[in-house]
Amino acid sequence: MTDKTKKATDFTRRNALTMMAMTGAAGMLAPNLLGKPAHGQTPPAAPTGRVIVGLSQEPTVLNPLMVKIEVDDGVHFSLFDALFRVTPEGEIVPNLATEVPSQANGGISEDGLEWRIKLRDDVRWHDGAPFTAEDVKFTLDLILNPDFRSWRTIGHSLLRDITVVSPTEITWRMETAFAPYLSFLTETFIVPKHAFDGVEDPNSAPFNSNPIGTGAFKFGQRVAGDIITLQANPDYFGDGPYIEQLVFKYIPDLTVMYTQFRSGDIDLIGRQYITPDNYAEASALPGRTVTLVPSPAVETIYLNQEKPQFKELAVREALYAAIDKESIIDALYYGLPTSAETFMPRSSYFYNDALPVHEFNLEHARQLLDDAGWLPGPDGIRQKDGVRLAFTNSTTSGNHLREQAQQFIQQTFREIGVEMTISNLPAAVIWGEFWAMSQFDSVIVGITFLIGADPDVTNRFHSGAISAQGGRGSNNSQYVNTDVDALLEEGSRTFDPEARREIYLKVQEHVRHDLPFLPLFADSNVHGRKEGLDGVVPNGNTRTESWHAAGWYWT
Amino acid sequence: MLGFLLNRLWQSAVLLVIVSIIGFVVLNLIPGGPLSQFALDPGMTQADIDRIAAQMGLDRPIVVQYFDWAWKLLQGDWGHSFRDGAPVLDVIWRHLFATLLLMGSSTVIAIALGTWIGIRGATHRYSTFDYVATVGAMVALSIPTFWFGLVGIYVFALKLGWVPAGNMYTIGDQSVLNYLHHLILPSFVLALVNIAIWSRYMRSATLDVINQDFVNTARAKGVTERRVLMKHVVGNALLPMITLAGMQLPSILSGALVTETVFTWPGMGRLFLDSLGYSDYPVVMGLLMFSAILVLAGNLIADIVVAVVDPRIRLG
Amino acid sequence: MTAIAQNTAPPRWWHSRAVRRFRNHKLAMIGVVMIVTLTLACIFGPYLLPYDSLHIDLRARFSPPLTGNYYLGTDPLGRDIAARLLMAGRISLMVGFFAMVLSTLIGTIIGVIAGYRGGWLGAGLMRLVDAFLSFPSIFLLLALAALLKPSPVMITIIIAVTSWMEVARIVEAEVRSLREREFVQAGRMLGLSGAHIMFREILPNAMGPIIVAATLTVARAILLEAYVSFLGYGIQPPLPSWGNMLNGAQQYLASAPWLAIIPGITITIAVTSFNFIGDGLRDALDVRSDPV
Repeated sequence: MTDKTKKATDFTRRNALTMMAMTGAAGMLAPNLLGKPAHGQTPPAAPTGRVIVGLSQEPTVLNPLMVKIEVDDGVHFSLFDALFRVTPEGEIVPNLATEVPSQANGGISEDGLEWRIKLRDDVRWHDGAPFTAEDVKFTLDLILNPDFRSWRTIGHSLLRDITVVSPTEITWRMETAFAPYLSFLTETFIVPKHAFDGVEDPNSAPFNSNPIGTGAFKFGQRVAGDIITLQANPDYFGDGPYIEQLVFKYIPDLTVMYTQFRSGDIDLIGRQYITPDNYAEASALPGRTVTLVPSPAVETIYLNQEKPQFKELAVREALYAAIDKESIIDALYYGLPTSAETFMPRSSYFYNDALPVHEFNLEHARQLLDDAGWLPGPDGIRQKDGVRLAFTNSTTSGNHLREQAQQFIQQTFREIGVEMTISNLPAAVIWGEFWAMSQFDSVIVGITFLIGADPDVTNRFHSGAISAQGGRGSNNSQYVNTDVDALLEEGSRTFDPEARREIYLKVQEHVRHDLPFLPLFADSNVHGRKEGLDGVVPNGNTRTESWHAAGWYWT
Repeated sequence: MLGFLLNRLWQSAVLLVIVSIIGFVVLNLIPGGPLSQFALDPGMTQADIDRIAAQMGLDRPIVVQYFDWAWKLLQGDWGHSFRDGAPVLDVIWRHLFATLLLMGSSTVIAIALGTWIGIRGATHRYSTFDYVATVGAMVALSIPTFWFGLVGIYVFALKLGWVPAGNMYTIGDQSVLNYLHHLILPSFVLALVNIAIWSRYMRSATLDVINQDFVNTARAKGVTERRVLMKHVVGNALLPMITLAGMQLPSILSGALVTETVFTWPGMGRLFLDSLGYSDYPVVMGLLMFSAILVLAGNLIADIVVAVVDPRIRLG
Repeated sequence: MTAIAQNTAPPRWWHSRAVRRFRNHKLAMIGVVMIVTLTLACIFGPYLLPYDSLHIDLRARFSPPLTGNYYLGTDPLGRDIAARLLMAGRISLMVGFFAMVLSTLIGTIIGVIAGYRGGWLGAGLMRLVDAFLSFPSIFLLLALAALLKPSPVMITIIIAVTSWMEVARIVEAEVRSLREREFVQAGRMLGLSGAHIMFREILPNAMGPIIVAATLTVARAILLEAYVSFLGYGIQPPLPSWGNMLNGAQQYLASAPWLAIIPGITITIAVTSFNFIGDGLRDALDVRSDPV
């Protein structure tokens, strides 16, 4: 990875290693895996130096359990620990726990309902108080507190009878077996119970602006609208940290953020990273290490299956065939993303590489529509049974590359007699009811489908997850396939990775065939940092580049 | 005077109520809302979003929300940002400095250059300078501020490298010089329009005064031209300028917002756009009220100052 | 009625003199010539150019000006900037013109009613004007643009709704001062209806300031459209407008500066022209000098 132009394939290898994706390597201690410097250089004995991370969005909350956005994660990963962490390879390893529970080691009962977690006994909070199982119980209870403005509750809402057995052991029962929960716990940071003593409203606890964690960094100060400063925690139980100060700097414009990266004002460029058009130039910058990192997000065109235009498979297939993916990727996105056929990231153990490959073929598209009885009307737009093959397409206004792709797609659609009208909306508008209640015709959206490395996508593709039809989930294309429903239900009950793999390969087959969305490409992010900043490893199973700042060091 | 003040204050209060109602209604009619930003999170369900909406009181009727907001505002509670939970007044306060810095420095530039150009234009009426200034002022008023900013960045930051392309300071270097360095380009860009306005006003104001008897008398007494200009002309011409400054406040504020978006200046304009993008209603409403108060206060102060300075003007 | 108007209204001698003064106003004539040229170019130009404004050619993207038949270069999708500029001119000029018509209409009606009726209605209306004026107009404009689906018609309406206040103020002041004049008193004595007096007798006498304000409103409306579209809240692609051609241009400022420079210059020319014309009209119609 010191080679600037080389793609960061280190963590994309899909080899046998990832077999242990879910439950493997039990008993390994966190610091061994997480704190190990990635390269031959050795980190300094005492924390030295400062790293400034640029972020194009401002972190919102410091309490890691409150409803939050992706960019908050970098701060939370540095301040706090979870019971487990997920490695770049998708393996779940212990963090505050001493081992990852599995049916094999007895941590999870055979029926998947009883969980037993053993905790470390050598962890202290930043204020010196010892970390115990009471803190874990408090954290899980707080998430489920109906008055608390908590973040995700799926998985957590299945918890029953949370019991502190000893300071280093906690057990609970789950309402139903739910394999993905292990993955969810890698993003559930533990907060100190004592920080909430005597606090009436946890939404406005002093902790929320002055957080206390167990992580490699202590909270320093926050200048809202500008920076968040963290200080090294010399008593960290794991390896690291090797830097004295970690600064998150909010730079509300990607062009300016890149300029500051180029000029050296920031040491590492964080979310949303370097824009694709600057990749070539950035790669040639002296003294900078620039890498291409596959992102778990997949760029898709969501088609609302309940709209009469999209009900027929032939139409969806024809539209897919009429998208010139290659030109979009190569010309508009500078060749950075890779073509995708599925929602599963290519690096995942569950990725299906045997799916039919997209082919751009306008003749084939026309043929499909002709055969299905969609024939050109007097205005050149195809129609069938009084339905014109015309629809609107929306995306967040201000995303220039996507808007270009949109106009490009609009042109090839027009060539097969399909009228696509662009109607872009501000973020707060498009992702409101318009999206949630499936009021759109079609939407271009980059979606991360997985939570951590878990392949469960019930929330996106189960017919019971259609909000517009009274469901509770995010199946926004209103996709209904009873086979997929059954597979998803089975998958979430199954703990064995190999058995799960079979299930999710089939899910991907169905989804690829039915095309509830047209997959465009798997996105890549252009990461960049100063040369000499080592130990930085990207992790596609987290949402942040700063998932492990404890391992960063200057050479 | 007191009656006038009370009357004006009463009118301002009524205005604020109207402004707040218009603002609140428009904002709440916008579909979507502050929770949209969580919609793409793979682990967030609509049920989670509904739960948070209820916790935040967003599911209540708009009339109830308005009165709740207004009642709290009257008690000095401007609410909390939906984004980071910080008190709205704090949020505004943090961004106010940047905006005031930009507005202040550009106003200084505008007054200095505008006054000079205006007076010179008036004393050298129909000269080439006057003609160029007149045409230049009109062109300046016609250039889109944000585009002028872009051109400025292209020429002075990208091509010549004299000034930074944006931001208020370099991280780790908060020296005054560093601020000034960042301030130069946006200040001039923002000042352009105001130089034009000030110079036009100054010119006509100077022309009004320049041929009046007392000026001629002073001249006849042998007072130097420069002193005459400084003392009598500027002194008298400044009066209408004070009113102008008050009146111009909304447009300078608008201009500052536009300039901030181009220069990623961390001020209230940037904050407004961000907050609008997130439907962060408390902050947007706070900004609306804050700027309305600023504008009304500006007008009021301008009126009072003029009245105090010039007893000929009767209030009421 | 005509007899009354002729007998009591100030004579309309300024008609011919105004035209002559306007013709002698150099800047105004420059403005007229530029606007006429620009309008004609926008109407007929697109038919003369080799490329359609919507034609995408990725191989030709980011061609600098004077590349082959791309006289002004191409945009990030390889579309001809010259063709887009002229098509955008149609949209932007139309938005500017109709926003002016609409806002002048709103402003005039409110101004006449407020000025003629006075009393609590007049005071109330003028407070409304003040309220709108105490928003920085950008605030209201962006909030409205986020609320309504941005089509050219919507943008026109939104701009009109946020820029009628100047006209209303001018008209109100004008009408209030005319209200007590003898020709109005005469009309009242003759039993003419309020509406008739307001719009047939008083309004024509306030036309001068209205025309000047209207011209300046066109300039303002073009600028507002440009800004709103620049931010992505305005006219939506692929339909070009001068503003949305600038949207995203900042990103390419270093590599393709013509994307930003060309539409900006065009906007400046158009707006300057309208301001010149407004200035000429002000002088010609003898409207009290108000240099802004």
